Amino acid sequence: MSSHSADTDAPAILAEVNPAPVPRRVLVANHRDFHWITEKVCGIVESKTPLWWWWCFGVAAFVASFTVAGLTYLVATGVGVWGHANPVNWAWDIVNFVFWIGIGHAGTLISAILCLLRQKWRTSINRPAEAMTIFAVVCAAIFPVFHVGRIWFAVLPGFLFPFPNANGIWQNFRSPLEWDVFAVSTYGTVSVLFWYIGLIPDLGTMRDRFTAAGNLLKARIYGFFAMGWRGSNRAWSNYEMAYLILAGIATPLVLSVHTVVSFDFAVALIPGWHTTIFPPYFVAGAIFSGFGMVMTLMLPLRAIYRLEDLITQYHIDCMCKITLATGTMVGYAYSMEFFIAWYGANPFEGFTFINRAFGVYWWSYWIMVTCNVVTPQFFWFKKVRENTTLVWILCLFVNVGMWFERFVIIATSLARDFLPSSWGYYSPSIVEIFTFFGTFGVFSVLFLLFIRFVPVMPMSEIKAVIPQADPHGADHHHGAAALESQA
Amino acid sequence: MKRKFDHSAPAALPNGPKYWRSLDELADTPGFREHLAREFPDGASSLEGVDRRQFMKLMAASFALGGIGLAGCRRPESHILPYGKSVEYTIPGLPLYFATAMPLRKWALPLLAETHQGRPTKLEGNPSYTPHGGASSLLAQASVLDLYDPERAVAHTKGGATLTTGQVNDLLAAIHKTYAGNGEGLAFLADQSSSPTRARLVAKLRQVYPRAVWAEYEPVQDEPPVAAAQASFGRNVRPLYRFAAAKRIVSLDADFLHSEAGALYYAREFAKGRRVVKADDDMNRLYVAESGFSLTGSMADHRLRLASNHMLALTAALANAVLETKVFAALTQGLDVNPEWIAKCAEDLRQHEGESLVVAGAHQPVQVHVLVNAINAKLGNLGKTVDFVAAEPDGASTIAALATAIKGGAVRTLVVVNGNPAYNAPADLEFGTLLKSVPDVIRFGYYADETSALAGTHLAATHYLESWGDARTVDGTIVPIQPMILPLFNGLMELELLARLAGETEAEAYTQVRTTLGGLTAGDPLKAFEKFLHDGLLENSAFPVVPVAFDPQRSAAVFAKNPAPAALSKDNLEVRFITDHKMDDGRFANNGWLQECPDPMTKISWDNAILISPRLAREMGIAPKGGLLQVARVEEADFVVGKENAHVGEVTVNGRTLRGPIHIQPGLSNYTVVVALGYGRSASGHIGTGTGCNAYAIRTSDAMGFVTGAKLVRTEQRALLANTQEHWSMEGRAIVREANLEEYHEEPAFAAALGMEAETPPLYGDMGPEELAKLSPEQRTRIAIARSTTTPRGNSLYETPDFSGEHAKFDGVHQWGMSIDLNTCIGCNACIIACQAENNIPIVGKDQVLRGREMQWIRLDRYYSDGQADAAAFGAEGNKILPEDPQVSLQPMTCQHCELAPCETVCPVNATVHDEEGINVMAYNRCIGTRYCANNCPYKVRRFNFFDFNKRALDALYMGPIGHQDDMPELVKMVKNPDVTVRMRGVMEKCTYCIQRIQQAKIAQKRQAGASGNVEIPDGTVRTACQQVCPVEAIVFGNVKDENSRVARLKAQDRNYAVLGYLNIRPRTTYLAKLRNPNPRMPDYAALPLSRVEYSRKNHPQHGEGKDAKPEHGGEHA
Repeated sequence: MSSHSADTDAPAILAEVNPAPVPRRVLVANHRDFHWITEKVCGIVESKTPLWWWWCFGVAAFVASFTVAGLTYLVATGVGVWGHANPVNWAWDIVNFVFWIGIGHAGTLISAILCLLRQKWRTSINRPAEAMTIFAVVCAAIFPVFHVGRIWFAVLPGFLFPFPNANGIWQNFRSPLEWDVFAVSTYGTVSVLFWYIGLIPDLGTMRDRFTAAGNLLKARIYGFFAMGWRGSNRAWSNYEMAYLILAGIATPLVLSVHTVVSFDFAVALIPGWHTTIFPPYFVAGAIFSGFGMVMTLMLPLRAIYRLEDLITQYHIDCMCKITLATGTMVGYAYSMEFFIAWYGANPFEGFTFINRAFGVYWWSYWIMVTCNVVTPQFFWFKKVRENTTLVWILCLFVNVGMWFERFVIIATSLARDFLPSSWGYYSPSIVEIFTFFGTFGVFSVLFLLFIRFVPVMPMSEIKAVIPQADPHGADHHHGAAALESQA
Repeated sequence: MKRKFDHSAPAALPNGPKYWRSLDELADTPGFREHLAREFPDGASSLEGVDRRQFMKLMAASFALGGIGLAGCRRPESHILPYGKSVEYTIPGLPLYFATAMPLRKWALPLLAETHQGRPTKLEGNPSYTPHGGASSLLAQASVLDLYDPERAVAHTKGGATLTTGQVNDLLAAIHKTYAGNGEGLAFLADQSSSPTRARLVAKLRQVYPRAVWAEYEPVQDEPPVAAAQASFGRNVRPLYRFAAAKRIVSLDADFLHSEAGALYYAREFAKGRRVVKADDDMNRLYVAESGFSLTGSMADHRLRLASNHMLALTAALANAVLETKVFAALTQGLDVNPEWIAKCAEDLRQHEGESLVVAGAHQPVQVHVLVNAINAKLGNLGKTVDFVAAEPDGASTIAALATAIKGGAVRTLVVVNGNPAYNAPADLEFGTLLKSVPDVIRFGYYADETSALAGTHLAATHYLESWGDARTVDGTIVPIQPMILPLFNGLMELELLARLAGETEAEAYTQVRTTLGGLTAGDPLKAFEKFLHDGLLENSAFPVVPVAFDPQRSAAVFAKNPAPAALSKDNLEVRFITDHKMDDGRFANNGWLQECPDPMTKISWDNAILISPRLAREMGIAPKGGLLQVARVEEADFVVGKENAHVGEVTVNGRTLRGPIHIQPGLSNYTVVVALGYGRSASGHIGTGTGCNAYAIRTSDAMGFVTGAKLVRTEQRALLANTQEHWSMEGRAIVREANLEEYHEEPAFAAALGMEAETPPLYGDMGPEELAKLSPEQRTRIAIARSTTTPRGNSLYETPDFSGEHAKFDGVHQWGMSIDLNTCIGCNACIIACQAENNIPIVGKDQVLRGREMQWIRLDRYYSDGQADAAAFGAEGNKILPEDPQVSLQPMTCQHCELAPCETVCPVNATVHDEEGINVMAYNRCIGTRYCANNCPYKVRRFNFFDFNKRALDALYMGPIGHQDDMPELVKMVKNPDVTVRMRGVMEKCTYCIQRIQQAKIAQKRQAGASGNVEIPDGTVRTACQQVCPVEAIVFGNVKDENSRVARLKAQDRNYAVLGYLNIRPRTTYLAKLRNPNPRMPDYAALPLSRVEYSRKNHPQHGEGKDAKPEHGGEHA
């Protein structure tokens, strides 16, 4: 698409320096037009429910029932049905919580930060990534809520949630768990709002299409959620501003949520938890795992619905590179932890890290390092990035590795802390394993419902990044003037 | 409705006006007639929800009790009476204390029982008995649980049918009638007892049945054999040791701190000689030679691992050295001990004539005891460190003689009084089979156990807390056993049984005891008896000390025939039978508190194991091997995912086989296999049946203490052991800080120079090194000590907040704190059970202990050290080998009540907070169970209720809503302390410093203070449960704000330190460092305690042996 034309009649000395224009990558391949995009995205919702969807939904619902059954048993019987014991009082519950919360990070990052940074490639993937965020937060919230001993009190106002009461008892605002309550609930709320605001124009489109097709029931339902969207100039203007404000609000949340989650450990005094590197390390890890999960979900979706024109190789490249960058940051953090443990000359700290790598849980440490540090290094190679199957497999490893990272941090530090007399070994119970396994079902059920009933891509936003959306036409689009105007 | 009264109408109406009391009467309605006839209102007996019978029983018991304790006599009525009139001194909600005693074999523990509305809930030592000073033992603490055991024998039965009390009396009267005057065909088998009343009744029985057999049997012999004293002194005497006066003590296989008779008495005395207060104080030195690893061995300054079988040879060698003769040279054949060890030990003893003491284990043969007497006599210890007191003549027959009589068909009626011979009689007697051949076996016992199953008649015994009786303490003082409650199940008291059999007309146990006491006291018998009950002891009733002289000629006869030491090897093992720390001889098998309490050395709960030495384990190929890289020391047993997965082995001796899990125990004699008695019960109840293996199966009457010629075979099976401490090494961390006495004399503040906090600048507050240098050593010491308790630390990122002035956090009148002296702690576990009894701590069962969910608030950490830990040579050989001869460091660990508590900051709901008196308190109602506090506790002392342990049976924990949700039986609930919340599931709990006791003392003080406003509790008023029970006074609790309080003075000692002090969490519980007192002339002398060697190697590897190692460091343990 390079269309730079040199003017042969120009003087020897240029009146002004025209930097060599950077060829902009195409975000929608094959010159697809507005209509094609609308048809493609809406078609997924409007077409007859495919058989594979029913199969997937059935399996997912079955798997989700494991979580429901596990939690019912847990509440009815006691937390003892899980494998916790002194000294490892947190294990899979908090590992799973941090794992799912971490996955949620990519969604907000793509929606908010990339939006503010005008990374236009985000448009094809932000809707499913945001949906993924919300569903991941749902899965994440299960664990801290249910791992407590007396859930019937935990959910009452006045215990975890501040509530004026006659006794004047308030929460302990010094506790990182209390910060978690606020951080996660804020994050969940903002994520839902952000997702929903972004959906409104597309819901309007859906409503109009169903109205035109004569399906009034669906038209009403979509119409209800479209909140009277008419696509007027004023509506667009307000909409864009609302979206931008939400992006502004959500951006610090991307950093704050996982920072606060990392405080659960960093504020404690257990060797292996009590480290100041945790906030950036956790955020990097969260983004890393989030992008891993986005690709895990998007690549099959792309293949099934033939969305190659919308999710191009360029998109995959971008995501792979972010994964590579954050994975390397995580690797740096791992090595820095070791360095500080040695440099700090605290024997307890030093032991903890040696124990992580060579102690009873050595296998989990090396799974973590292999998956999180070694795996993303393959993304240096273009050939790897272009092999979608390979990318997908590598992303699975990233997901596994990030789960193990949380396990290594939480379980190994607790299992061998200060006094050797209380050292122990944690292994999960079958109830715990199935409850966690079931959350993948919960997530899948929600995600399948999402792709079935909600436009999986923001049509309006994609349309805005294709050449046709440029009012000045293709002539200037790649020219210097266009670049200037963009700047 | 109980009964209807028949109000018959008067024969003739009297003259005069007719009065009526109500309109109903006038009308003479049917309802009124019914009302008149009924004893109780309609429906009174069908009240729902309340067990009326139980309620009435308790009320009656309370009423009766009031009478017992205060009037000194018990109301003989057994009718149900309403609690209409309050008992004198009873204040609802406040406990009453009565003196009683717990009998065990030939000695008893004087106790005070705490009763709440007539319900005993907690036992304390009787402080009036000064040798115990209010301390008590593990077993005494737990015995209250037995009273409420739902599986105790609740009815008298004969052939499966229940007998009423009247029928039982008839039965006993019939025996009396049948056998009186002759007794041919009648036999008794009883346990041992120290009761003067029983002795009197037994004498009576002998008169009534002159030809009957009265045999006594105890599976455990815990006193030196009478024959030894006879042979040594020609008198019927028994020793009473004065450990407090002994500066040098040699124990020859004697666990006098725990399993020998009078252990509590001796432990307290021993601690007196061990305690160090000032820097120049001296302390006793303990030499121990033993085959197993006992608590006494863990306290040893020099410990020699030697087979029990070789103990005679060692004693002879020691006697040769001390007596400076060669008379016993023949006995020392085959002894493989460094002669230097014996020579230097003897030299040390000779240098301390009159203040040394040699003791031998009760299970050792007579020869050993005679030699020990000779040594003590030679050292001039008689009358100084060991007294001999008159022993009562023992005319009882033995179980072996009884067995012979039964085999000969000479026994038609056998009365088994207590004991459990079907389970614990020597295996060669096959007593179970013999019992079957006796036509009429009458078993009197507390449980329907193995023996009851073979007896036609079972008579349910009362618990000692429901019984009248008397007993003697180890020094002979007579103590009363008085009931705290009416027999819950209409049981029969032992004394009443014997009195009825003896044909006494006034057979009630109470009368019998009064009769005995009447004969022992002068003056008004009633007043004397009341005083006896009130004080809980009879003054001046101790056994008189008999002056004795060693008689070499007489004793020589003993050595006519000597057991030869066996050459032990893998194929010729010695088996040593030890009394279990908790089950004793098996009588406490159904006690959940005791079953769950970990053994102090192996840390195994709910089981015993076949203990073998690391060397034997290696030779048998069952020692765990360390991996290529070994971060921490190899565990002492195979821990698979945190559970000890023990090999099952079979010990075969003389054709008898014992099958059980093998546990590798460092510190054992190489070829001695140790098995604890008291497990493997087949008919005990839910708790006791099926735990451990029955060592009685291979124990025969000729070798009750130890036997040689055994073989151990490893099977392919594995068994899980609930081991509560997976890791045995301190890993070179300064957790238990120790020094040798010499180092302590030179550097009294050595404890402050250890650990991370010693390395950090903020150690001395805001002072720099120059300023510090100007201070005198005393001042420096003082500051160093204060650092962990009072001084805010400067120059640190983590500066301690200033709590003074308007930011006052700890502005209460009292500031509570605790001091634990590691130097005197013998690791007896009594504190654990005392805490469990006081604070309503549930048991969780073996399965939950295996998962690490035990609930005891106090944990006794046991570390082994061998001086080998070496992190610098990461993966070095030293990390892979189990020590064969370790030193042991014990440390009671519980909530440290940190001033800057890490648990508090992380609780999201403010459920764990600090009070103004410095206690870290738990608001159970507020706790939602995030368990964050437990994670952030560096001491890992918080306990979480993973299930409804207080409501669900141990086998129904996982059943959830579909399981049976029956509450615990009412009986079990009766043991709960009403002053302490019973926690539900999902709640965190931990040591509270017995806050209920503090509050009671505060309320009492406030009332007493009145207008004066002096609400400060005098020092010593509040004693925590663990402190109260501690036999060695290692635990002291009190107000640290008061500089003169005992705890404050202890904390001012230079040995004071805080565990993990570097975290700057400022724990209120601090420890006094442990001291060892090895003899520099001994061949196994180590200049530093081995844990210190490990510490130095780990933290200062560049200094080789460590910066603290002295030049004369004498190498490692042999």
